[in-house]
This record gives sequence, C-alpha cells and structure tokens, in this order.
Amino acid sequence: MKLSQAFRMAFKSIWANKLRTALSMLGMLIGVATVIALVSMSEGSSRQVQSQVESLGAANMLQVTITGRGLTTSLTKEEALEFADIPNVEGVSPIVNGNATVKYGTTSESYTVEGITPEYESVREVGFVKGRYIVDLDNVNYSKVALIGANVATTLFESEDPLGKTIQLNGNRYLIVGILQTKGDSINGSADDKVLIPLTTAERLLQSNGVRSIYLKVDDMDKSEQVQALLEARLSAKFQNATNAYRVINQQEAMETVGSITQTMTSMMAGIALISLVVGGIGIMNIMLVSVTERTREIGIRKSLGAKRRDILLQFLVEAITISGLGGAFGIAIGYIASRIIGIVMSTETAVSLDMVWEAFAFSAGVGVIFGIFPANKAARLRPVDALRHD
Amino acid sequence: MSRADRAKLIEIEKLVKTYRMGQESMNVLHDVDLTVYQGEFVAIVGPSGSGKSTMMNIIGCLDIASSGSYKLDGVEVKGQSDNKLAAIRNQKIGFIFQGFQLLPKLTAIENVELPLIYRGLAGRERRARAEEALRTVGLDDRMHHRPSELSGGQQQRVAIARALAGEPPILLADEPTGALDTRTGQEVLALMENLHRNGHTIVLITHDMEVAERAERIVRMKDGVLTEDDSGRRNRREAVASIPNGV
Repeated sequence: MKLSQAFRMAFKSIWANKLRTALSMLGMLIGVATVIALVSMSEGSSRQVQSQVESLGAANMLQVTITGRGLTTSLTKEEALEFADIPNVEGVSPIVNGNATVKYGTTSESYTVEGITPEYESVREVGFVKGRYIVDLDNVNYSKVALIGANVATTLFESEDPLGKTIQLNGNRYLIVGILQTKGDSINGSADDKVLIPLTTAERLLQSNGVRSIYLKVDDMDKSEQVQALLEARLSAKFQNATNAYRVINQQEAMETVGSITQTMTSMMAGIALISLVVGGIGIMNIMLVSVTERTREIGIRKSLGAKRRDILLQFLVEAITISGLGGAFGIAIGYIASRIIGIVMSTETAVSLDMVWEAFAFSAGVGVIFGIFPANKAARLRPVDALRHD
Repeated sequence: MSRADRAKLIEIEKLVKTYRMGQESMNVLHDVDLTVYQGEFVAIVGPSGSGKSTMMNIIGCLDIASSGSYKLDGVEVKGQSDNKLAAIRNQKIGFIFQGFQLLPKLTAIENVELPLIYRGLAGRERRARAEEALRTVGLDDRMHHRPSELSGGQQQRVAIARALAGEPPILLADEPTGALDTRTGQEVLALMENLHRNGHTIVLITHDMEVAERAERIVRMKDGVLTEDDSGRRNRREAVASIPNGV
C-alpha cells in the first residue's frame, strides 16, 4: 500500500469523525498555540533587553571598578592611563563618579556627576551636540566647566539655551560648555541624565582620592579576554592581598550573561508549554485506542481482504500523525494571532520566527508518531479471526 | 470431465485443530481430509458447533491448523508468516461473509476496491476492475451508494463483487444467505450458481441443508469429523437444471 493511499484513507476516516477528531486535536492545538505565544513573547522581550544592553556601549569594552579606599587601594589617574600600553587597548577612560545636587536658578535636582578625561568621548562613545568637550587643559587647570546630558538640560533650563550659563554643583559654580547627544536608556543609567566635568575637578568636588572606574576599549573583540587577563595581572600587582578592591567587568560577558538569562527564560517557558503538548499527545493516544477498539471489525475485514500488519500499522499511524499535525498547524495559526494580540494589548515586542513554526509543527507530528505507535501496533497485531468475530 | 483431470485447488490431509481452554485442550477438527478441484461447487454442511466455522477459517487462511497439511493452489499454508498469509488471502481467496462485512463508511465501489488496494494496484486499473466486478453482480447503477443505502441482497452482492474483484481461484462463502430473507437468499444463491457455471470454484459453508442442496457436491461435518457420501454428489447437469428461471 502506498503512503498517499494511507493519507487518503486517514483523511477519509478523520472526515467521517469530525467532532471526535476536532476534540482530540484540541489538546495539541492548545499546546502548540501556547508554545508559539509564550516563546514569541520571551523572544520579543529578549530582543528588547538585547538592544538595551547594546545601547550601553560597544561590546568591546572592559570596565574596572575600584571599590577599595585609602592610599594602597586606589588608583591615580596617571596609573589608570598607563593601562593604555596593554596590547590591543585602543583607549582608556578613567572616571571619578558620584552624585551631586545640581542647581540652576531655583531648580535643583540630584544627578550623577562623572569626572572624565577627553578619552571618554571615544571610549564610551558619548558625543556632544553643542559647544565643546572636556579637554586636557581643563584637567590641568582644574577648570570648573561642565557638559550636561539632554535630560539635565531640559529639566533645568526647559526651553532656555544652557550653553554659557552657570550651574551650581554642591554649591560650586560651573560653566556649561557643551551639551551631550541623546543616547537613550541603558542598564547603567542614562547618559542623558549625567553631568560631566574634568576628572581633576571632580576629585575635589566628590572628595575622591584616585579614580573610581576605568573603561578600556579593546580594538579587537576576540582579544578582549586576553586584554582582561593582562589587566587583571596588573591590578593584582597593584592591589596586593586585596583582590576584592577592584572588579573587572567584561561588556561582552555582561551581554552574554543577559543573553543566557533570556535564553533560559525562553526555554523554560517552552518547556512548560511542551508539557501541554505531551498531554495533547496522550489525548490523541486515548482517542486512537478507542478508535482501534471501535474499528476492530473493520481491521478484521481489512485483514481478511489481504491487509498486512504493516498496512494496518501505517493506516492508524498516519491517522494519528494527521490528527496531531493538523492540530499543530491550527495551533501555529492561533498562537501567531494570539502573539500579535498580546503584543498590541501589552504593547510589548513579540516575534514569531519561522524556525519556531517549523519546530512546533515537527514536534506535533512527532508527538503523533510517538503516541500513535502504541494504538497502531495494537491494531496491527489483532488476529483476523478474533477481529472479524468482534462486534 | 472427470475430477482427476482437473487441478487440485484445496488439498487437506489429516488436519487437526486444537483449542486450548485453560488446562484442557479441545479438539475441534479430527483428522479431516478434503480435496477440492478446480471448478467445483462444494458445500460444507453441519450444525453449529460441528467445527465448520473453524474449517472455513483454516481454508480461508484466517487461522492455522494445529497439525496436518493444507495445500492451497499447490502451496503449503502451514508455517507461513502472518504477512505471507495476508498475501495468500489477498491473491487466492474471495470471502463472502454471512454479515456481508462491508465497511459502512465506504461506497460500494470503494469497498470492492479494497482487496485491490492491498494488492498494490494503481488507481485507474483498480477502478476499472471494481466496476467490472460490480457489473457482474448487476450493481453497476449502485456503485456510489453506501452500504446503508442498499438492501441486504444488494449488500451481499457488493460483498460478492468484492470477492470477485481480485479474481481469486476460490470463492469462500460463509452462510451467504444467513442474514437474508428467503427470496433474496435465493437470488444470491442463483448468482453463485451462475458464477460456478462460469468456472469459479466455490466453497460454501452452511448449516442449512436446503442451501447446501444448491451445490454440486456436499460434505457433511459433525463433531469435527468430515464425511462425504456419494449421495451428496449430484452431477453438474442436474445442478444447472435446478437454477430457477429468470434470475
């Protein structure tokens, strides 16, 4: 018997039992729809997170955070700049950071203040739209100049032009020399909500001895681990017996961590939804077993007319696969519609990938095979004499 | 034409069938011998419990004897695998059952096509052969009706068409009139006689002596023993003459 004949037979039998087929399909349908909807949601949110992480800055970045205090546990600006001679390091940007109350006129607000060197622009990739950047001379002269983020500008100055105006940082007067470009939200806090001043000035303002964190830009992303190792070697030489005085964060690593978290979330959701697919498969097995019992005489007749075991097995297996495959196909359609609706209602991003659709369909057909084998085999092994006598 | 000139289609020798029922074993057939020649119309007649159903199952390769030998069309059936038996049933035997045993969800022609599907014939040839078989039983105008839309007699004729479609050497009929009223039963028997006249070999199993009388040769079955007396044999001409007119 040919396979096409088996499919024709299966469709005929399914069509003859429409209601029952529809009901047994339901489990499969709901399972697949759930998988598609859940996975599309978490896929969408993982894409959102991914883009947030990317906005943090380039992936080829190493961040050193100095957590120690005192003379031997801090790093001067000059020491930090020496890291630039590590191979493959493109730029070093030491930072002194803290919070300060920023006041203009009668408005005052607390913002993150970062003391920087001119390298900040290229290493952190934060440019400016108006005025000028912090230059080396500002650091030499301890100039009280500031660059403000876009949000700071709108909060303090509203529609006024901040350039050339004077603000107060913790009571000290600073001249605004430039406005930063808008960067958008990121996990480390938005660059739009920052005030940048020269590093030397910041050490005084924030009463900090040495830099708090250092960003290193690596020219070759594949070399970042190598650079990290060299960097850590230098740091451990500097901070002897105090390994917890500093921490090196690999931007690449951070991204991978976030990626793996969302990956885990996605597979967990898919796993939960897979359980419902298995339940759907058991439902199909149930119906197929009932169908085999109900059609024992039909099996007997077919066998008496020359159907081999293989023919009967194929007939029932194809029927199970057809039911589960159809359930899967409808489930994909409903899951897709559901994910679109969820996306609109919850205004989150959802994404249904073609891979996912194929996998869901293949899985549902596979469930049909797995749960169809047992009933089909039961049918195939019936003895024709017994089967014919059955009523 | 004497029997010896014709080919032996069924050769049964010392056939024993034993059923195991718990601890006890029950002999249903005792050393049965039977030879059926090409072109014969044989009736196996006996009361219920005589073992004739077991006999029919074994002749039809639906069941296997416990011991003894059964050659069908020259091939020993004993010891064949399930698949081989299925193939033998498909090629050699056309079943006509008491309860018609048609598939209710299929139309007449689809039912007739079934054995040809399992033989692996292509769609067009299958259809042509099935149509031919339905024409033979006079149902060419009812091809696309389901069994539920046909009378009992028509259903049995579809079953006969299904048995004929594969052109098997033997037609095996198990109480073919059992589920029919007398008149349609007569029609079905007449049809079978007609087939016999056209050269088909028919083995008819029945408990009804009146039905058995229509056959050319009668063997009796009682308590698992098969007996045949010469009085059971009628000559061919006589059998043909007994066919009612107008059928």
